[in-house]
Amino acid sequence: MAAAAGTSISALSGSRSLQLNQAKPETVNKVCEIVKKQLALPADSAVTGESKFAELGADSLDTVEIVMGLEEEFGISVEEDSAQSILTVQDAADMIEKLAGEKSA
Amino acid sequence: MASALSEPSRAAILSLFRSLLRTARQFSDYNIREYSKRRTIDGFRQNRELSDLSLVSSAFSDGKSQLEVARRQVWYHMALLDVNHFQVVEFRA
Repeated sequence: MAAAAGTSISALSGSRSLQLNQAKPETVNKVCEIVKKQLALPADSAVTGESKFAELGADSLDTVEIVMGLEEEFGISVEEDSAQSILTVQDAADMIEKLAGEKSA
Repeated sequence: MASALSEPSRAAILSLFRSLLRTARQFSDYNIREYSKRRTIDGFRQNRELSDLSLVSSAFSDGKSQLEVARRQVWYHMALLDVNHFQVVEFRA
């Protein structure tokens, strides 16, 4: 669904510059894996980029633990303000790629 | 009558939780690291339902003190393990 939204936006604009730069699928999948583990969800449960942590049953403490787990997995460090704004799987994946990109820059 | 205790904000509480977990992560000893992490998580979860403001404030103050203790412990832990490193730094100075 996110891919279709991206396509329709670029179709309207007629140029590629408005295409949203979204995180790689591998990153999103890894985040989903870590989220499922933290929340003790079955491996086959429906967790996607759009999934909100709160809707999956996470409270704010779970979200902190999830972000800590992502820091360890991806070797990044998320600032307090940024960390508190991560509410979905996509938010986490985008943050990871942003920080990993800055690290290797 | 105004209370002398200041109520910690939700953001401050989450920040403290994160700081305690970050500090726990710095211990090189697996057992100490896992214990500190577990203790932090269990402590915050146990107090999650506190609604009495004075209890919330004192739990928060308690947590902040424990953070300072943990930070010193990390430093001493590193100093004990890396005695040679510290000595070399001293000589160079």
